Amino acid sequence: MSAYAIEAEDLVKKFPRRVPPENQPSSKNPFTRLFKHPPLTEFTAVDHVSFQIQRGEIFGLLGPNGAGKSTTIRMLCTLLEPTSGFARVNGYDVVKEANLVRQSLGIVLAGERSIYWKLTGRENLEYFAALYHIPPEIARQRVNELLEYMELTNRANELVEKYSTGMRQRIVLSRALLARPPIILLDEPTLGLDPQAARRIREMILDLKNQGHTILLTTHYMEEADQLSDRIGIIDQGKIIALDTPAALKRRIHQQDVVRLEVAGWKPEMAAKIQAMEGVNQLITRSLDSDSVWELHLHTENSRAILPRLIEQVNYNGTHLVNMNIVSPSLEDVFIQLTGKALRD
Amino acid sequence: MEIATSQPSLVKASLSRTSLIAEIRAFYTIIWREWLHFVRYPTWVIAFIIWPILFPAVYIFSSFALAGPGGAGIPRFLQVAGTENFLGYIVVGTTVWMWANTLLWNVGFALRGEQMRGTLESNWMTPTSRFLFLVGTGPVHAATMLMFFIFTVIEFRIFFNLTFEANLLSLLIVFLAAIPALYGLGFTFASLVITAREANTFVFLVRGIVMIFCGITYPISVMPAWMQTVAQWLPPTLIIRAARAAALNRAPLSVVAPDVLLLLAHGAFWLTIGYLTFSQIERRARLKGALGQY
Repeated sequence: MSAYAIEAEDLVKKFPRRVPPENQPSSKNPFTRLFKHPPLTEFTAVDHVSFQIQRGEIFGLLGPNGAGKSTTIRMLCTLLEPTSGFARVNGYDVVKEANLVRQSLGIVLAGERSIYWKLTGRENLEYFAALYHIPPEIARQRVNELLEYMELTNRANELVEKYSTGMRQRIVLSRALLARPPIILLDEPTLGLDPQAARRIREMILDLKNQGHTILLTTHYMEEADQLSDRIGIIDQGKIIALDTPAALKRRIHQQDVVRLEVAGWKPEMAAKIQAMEGVNQLITRSLDSDSVWELHLHTENSRAILPRLIEQVNYNGTHLVNMNIVSPSLEDVFIQLTGKALRD
Repeated sequence: MEIATSQPSLVKASLSRTSLIAEIRAFYTIIWREWLHFVRYPTWVIAFIIWPILFPAVYIFSSFALAGPGGAGIPRFLQVAGTENFLGYIVVGTTVWMWANTLLWNVGFALRGEQMRGTLESNWMTPTSRFLFLVGTGPVHAATMLMFFIFTVIEFRIFFNLTFEANLLSLLIVFLAAIPALYGLGFTFASLVITAREANTFVFLVRGIVMIFCGITYPISVMPAWMQTVAQWLPPTLIIRAARAAALNRAPLSVVAPDVLLLLAHGAFWLTIGYLTFSQIERRARLKGALGQY
């Protein structure tokens, strides 16, 4: 048995992409403009990504939308072939031994449409159990176990189209667990769920780790990555830019204070003035519920030194401070420090 | 929520065990799933009752008009078609065409349906062979087409007093011989679905061409010579010709044998082409990431 559950080395995935109209050389001939096929270029979704995941570990891939998380998972589960580099899952090459990889994996891809809505929850699981080549007597037992574990036994014989989003996601998770695979890939497993359903899925993920499964989790929710992951790879623009335990990642910016302010009447042009203040290293602004109140995340080496000037800056010309606190660095602050932008940008 | 610190015993191997038996079981389950989907969309009942009579009716009433007063044109039809039973000629032609058409596009449409539903990737992430997903929808379509045939015969008996002089064994052999060729073409078409992701335009184009060339309501001998040459190379032409002989003239096996052998040759050729094309295109889709796109 391979020492690692998952190994990726120099994994690259490029996709052909049409050149956007604004970047195409313009032609004066209107017919040429109308019928010309836009030229193709290459877009690198995953850019020389390397990591190893220990057996029994929850490994989180944290990054904003479009960072390359899902593409990485799709290469690992054999839906995509890497452009270059290699990856092994449970010791099997994802290209050359694709079927052995599929036997080793349970997969939850983002979205709730990966099961049949016109079948019942039980029928879905029985169907996928056969596709995973699970012997029928074991499959029956496994389906019952999972329905019970997911608290779906009472609704098992109803069509999935009548389920709530959270229930559908539990069926999707059950499908991933049918073959009791050593490795589980979870691509944004709580995306679109209400807070209660999301908490239930997170509890299950921790429980699966305790049962001895290795889990690769992608998420753009920093709290989720922080709560669940033993180690986290922060991914941005296809590259892993930091990889460590959540605590170690946050320690990287411990020498910095993180000041969080809420400002009413905020004007975007004020950002440049604050950014230019001596002692301010990073500033991220985002609108809160109402457009008039904005949240400012500010990294500084000495919050005490800049606070008086900062308050003076924001309480100016119709804007005023609504709330302010100095907070512990979060994974988002790590991301901000590494990329200069917020996770939700 | 705390992360557990104690080291649990690791899950080392999954319950998934690939074998021939497991693949057969998976194939059966794909058929079962397809059947459940079929019966849970009950609009098919309307299609089954109305369509068998609706589609040929256009041609039948045209033929009544063309036959002239007192069926004056029928001797001419006998001359070119080899039968006076122009009603049966049209019904067999249109029904076989509908069957061949369904089988031909069924694989591609089933694949496209999975892609649109969002279930294609979850199926293809399993260790089950891709080709089982392609052929798995076939048996349900075969069963539904059998029901369609039965409805056709009953409805035409009631409304047009139509009788068939059929050699059922010959008819069965013709249909069985046609399946590999139609599936081979279906695999090739399925490759197109993965590549183009929008295949309706192509389907309507080919469907129209086949409809004209294969002589579903007229003998191909009425077409220009070059069209007859093209028609001879199209499997649906052979199926319709042999099925008419078996269903209307009680043709024994020896009469339909040449068409049956040609269909089997087509089957071997198109299955090979379909398999190779699909394998290549499926790999290309994995390189381009086109599987889950719609």
